[in-house]
Amino acid sequence: MPRQNEKMAYYPGCSMDGLGKAYQKSTEVVFRDLDIPMNRIKDYNCCGATEVKNISYDLSVFLPTRNLALAESMGAGTVIAPCNGCVYALARANKSISEDASSRQRLSGYLQEAGVPQYSGDVEVKHVLEVIRHSVGLDAVKARVSRPLSGLKVACYYGCLYTRPKTYTGAGMKEGKDNPEHPHFMDDLLQAAGATTVEYPVKTICCGGGHTIADREVSVGFSAAILNEAARAGADLVATMCPLGQVNIEMNISKITEQYGAEIIRPVVYFTQLLGLSFGHSRREMALHENISDANGVLKRMGY
Amino acid sequence: MPIHEKNLIEKEDLLEKEKAVVDGVDVSGRWNTFIRERLLSDYHEDFVEEVKSLPGGRTVTNCWQCGTCTSGCCLHTDYGLREFNPRYFIYLAQIGNVDELKKYGDVIWRCISCNKCVERCPKGVKVEEVVHNIDEVLRRRGVTEDTPGSRWDRTYLDNIMATGVLDELGLTLKYVRAEKPEDFTRGFMARMAVKIIRNGNIRTGPIRRRTRGWKKMKKVAEDILERDGYASAK
Repeated sequence: MPRQNEKMAYYPGCSMDGLGKAYQKSTEVVFRDLDIPMNRIKDYNCCGATEVKNISYDLSVFLPTRNLALAESMGAGTVIAPCNGCVYALARANKSISEDASSRQRLSGYLQEAGVPQYSGDVEVKHVLEVIRHSVGLDAVKARVSRPLSGLKVACYYGCLYTRPKTYTGAGMKEGKDNPEHPHFMDDLLQAAGATTVEYPVKTICCGGGHTIADREVSVGFSAAILNEAARAGADLVATMCPLGQVNIEMNISKITEQYGAEIIRPVVYFTQLLGLSFGHSRREMALHENISDANGVLKRMGY
Repeated sequence: MPIHEKNLIEKEDLLEKEKAVVDGVDVSGRWNTFIRERLLSDYHEDFVEEVKSLPGGRTVTNCWQCGTCTSGCCLHTDYGLREFNPRYFIYLAQIGNVDELKKYGDVIWRCISCNKCVERCPKGVKVEEVVHNIDEVLRRRGVTEDTPGSRWDRTYLDNIMATGVLDELGLTLKYVRAEKPEDFTRGFMARMAVKIIRNGNIRTGPIRRRTRGWKKMKKVAEDILERDGYASAK
């Protein structure tokens, strides 16, 4: 049973109902298996990601605050988000409310005007990964594994905004939060699921996802670096935890092949898909066919 | 002295001597480079004030130029785009050297908001937001032009403002149509679209998802944007 003393709300974010559907499906299955309730925030709105803040500070705080206020009115003390960008935007709104009185006052006005319940600033933001790793715990995960991923070498890619910046997310400072410079929660979980995780140097580098289309050179460069380092470390797969990172790397694969050769290409999967496989679910249930990159070949060869 | 970050100095301001003798001592070799004396007369003291007046740029004056942001910067260090130097951008903003900043108009926007700089700054400077705000002020003053990054941000904002949630395919199509990035050819887009539509993941165009009760939110959001000068920047 999850160690919980309060209700957790689930903020899917736009991608989970769009390009990241496979992530959503696999997360649902994993949550069900681990008895984590998924209380979706109904009628959530976009958190503003990293784009809106470049145009208007107030709007970039107002958008996530509405979601936090809705979560609070559901009686939740914690919001779970599956996407690094959402974790960042929600945590940033909390920070803005707690550190800046004038921003807090303006926000309160906006919320009232829009007919949204007022928000205290106290709802904690957690990534799905942190919830599974900490609220459920490794023992509970291990107990659920029925088909260990033995022999599978995985490169865990955490991406940029999962812990960063620590002043927003509380990484390394609060209980149940990952280390901001050397995150290890995904490694812990996949090891518990029986996989071997490889050490490679670009676990928290940017994937270029913010500018997948606007700055091709940079996003292809970063995606190639991630795949290349994963390949060099001997990984069979790259596991991600953010729909933007996943889709960005996958979209760049054809370009990377053209530019750097096919030998560095590794299929990219969501970590929840791997967890689900270890819990005994099929590849189809984990929606692996929905990913753009093809991990089915590798997994089939390993017997999953 | 050996010159650090030599790439920040204009080529014509660098003097490299075959043989350098100072006070009778031969200092040729790596000590043979000098920087031409420069005098900065055209600076804008109000520039830093304007950056500071924006909520995201408030911490610009906390910076003490240690360069921690730049040494860890994904773009500067990992990708190797040496011209992207947030420490230098902040320095130029602080002293109001707008002419020099103008040279980086096509570089500053390439920040991808990975926030490693904010994470590591020992003085609590929100480097990434400050850098974006410097870019914003440069564009507001007409010093630099719109960039692919600023156009992307606007396309994104317009997309979510319509219904409250993001329509990823609609956003991609709109941006690709306007900007025509080279790899996003018709063939590539068609392959991706087939894959995505076959998965049934996407509800785009008229059947896109919407947030119930967004109308009221939208009104407030539009007021905020108008106050922040968005409509006029459009």
